[in-house]
Amino acid sequence: MKTLFEFENVCYRYPGHKQLALRNVNVCFPEGEKIAVVGRNGAGKSTLFLHCNGLYRPLCGRVSFRGRPLAYDRASLKKLRQQVGMIFQNPDSQLFSASVAQDISFGPLNLGLSEAEARRRVLEAAEICEITHLLDRPTHSLSGGEKTRVALAGVLAMQPEVLVADEPLASLDPWMRLTFFDILQRFYDRGKTILMATHNLSVVRYWASYVIVLQEGQVVFSGTPKALLTNRTVLEQTELSRVWWKVDPGFDEDEEERVLVSTPSSAESTDGEGKSFQFSADGDWSI
Amino acid sequence: MQLIERYAYTNRLRTVPPDHKAAVALLVLLLCLALDRPAVSIACIAWMFLLVVPVAGVPARTFGRVLVVEGGFILMTIPGILISIGPSAPSDSTAWSWPLGPLWISTSAATLWQGIALVMRALGCAAAMNFLALTTPLVDIIELLRRWHIPSVLIDIMTVTYRSIFVLLESANTMYIAQDSRLGYLTSRMRAIHNAALLASRLFVEAYRRGKELQIALESRGFNGDLRVLPMTYRFSPLFTVLGAVIMANLVLLWAMA
Repeated sequence: MKTLFEFENVCYRYPGHKQLALRNVNVCFPEGEKIAVVGRNGAGKSTLFLHCNGLYRPLCGRVSFRGRPLAYDRASLKKLRQQVGMIFQNPDSQLFSASVAQDISFGPLNLGLSEAEARRRVLEAAEICEITHLLDRPTHSLSGGEKTRVALAGVLAMQPEVLVADEPLASLDPWMRLTFFDILQRFYDRGKTILMATHNLSVVRYWASYVIVLQEGQVVFSGTPKALLTNRTVLEQTELSRVWWKVDPGFDEDEEERVLVSTPSSAESTDGEGKSFQFSADGDWSI
Repeated sequence: MQLIERYAYTNRLRTVPPDHKAAVALLVLLLCLALDRPAVSIACIAWMFLLVVPVAGVPARTFGRVLVVEGGFILMTIPGILISIGPSAPSDSTAWSWPLGPLWISTSAATLWQGIALVMRALGCAAAMNFLALTTPLVDIIELLRRWHIPSVLIDIMTVTYRSIFVLLESANTMYIAQDSRLGYLTSRMRAIHNAALLASRLFVEAYRRGKELQIALESRGFNGDLRVLPMTYRFSPLFTVLGAVIMANLVLLWAMA
């Protein structure tokens, strides 16, 4: 398993805050995986993500990308940010331009591409994200789901190696989620890595191939979903065992014991790559 | 504002190059100012009506409403021109005057005509600007300024301001609903004013937060101090160009004949 990002003893504190947002984080993000990052509100998911793009600089410790420690000079950051695309919780904070096509063209032009090449990238990204019909529309007239896809297109147009998505599902209805996951799958199928912060435990169970659990600024678990489901200590420490069965219809409390001890078929399917996913009517994942 | 926006994006002149539309609007504006005849002013309004309503396909009602609002503001300035107040009766015998305590209020047929001519002229200019506003979205105008080599700092500020208007409008609306649903505006007038002030101050904090978020999002996409985006493509319209030329010729002719 190749390591994409490596965090070594990373601490971060927001200016004016007493508490550390990240406390000695040690974690590796494997390359070519679908990585879900879970944790309660304020656990440090967004802070962790903003370090991946060099937007935040650790107070102590260091972050490495593909074995090299991040450098924070202009040229290195430019290169890093081409390879690591980010989409944020609120798509409104990401879209600055009044026109959809122009907004998507922003990243490619910053990479120094020619206008013709940028135009090609815009069209390509729009096609992947199924927003070709929106290219001429003003940004402010879009719905939440459309805005999310435009934000995604703006990132994909830069042809990144990694996609870092911070709770992208919040503004999407179940149908749109399906489309969104299709787009992600296409990206993943080309050998790229996806990092997604999510509160949706079904996504962790059925979509992710790797999970990182954050608690109060520390990484308390990293491994496959199967390993998480069989790790009683972590499940109880993070109280995931208390909530999981309530929000995940497939997670049966009576079954928990068996889930924890053995590996029933549902847990096994978590590492089943290339399987097709389906939505049940309530918008949760099932296989 | 939202209404103007909608037609700016959906009208039939949307794909005409913004340079051409801006040229027509600005020339009409200049001619209307320079050729000071009521006939020219009226012709300006009529021509702009023709361009906006039958040609661009914007409803006559919208054209009329925008012009009426502007007319209201123009009328507010008219009393100052029509009426003069002085310590003695005017020497001009054709003027009408009334005593008001120690002062005299007076007006005359000449100033009345002057006032009407002025209103028409202002409306003619307003109509020319309305034509541009109703047929050209701000995105195109920004694009135009870029082509005219306006400093990019100004254009970037315009872009972000324009986008922020809608983001803040939405936040303000959400906050207003949140206050309203908890009876924020239904108890006393004083409370309502207080709550509106709260909303305004929160909106300031919100604007600041949004600004920071935007900065981070732009940086993550390789922002290097210049908001570069792709230029738009437009279609040359011979009909519009001919019509523009006819309008200019007509205005000059009207002025020469009067």
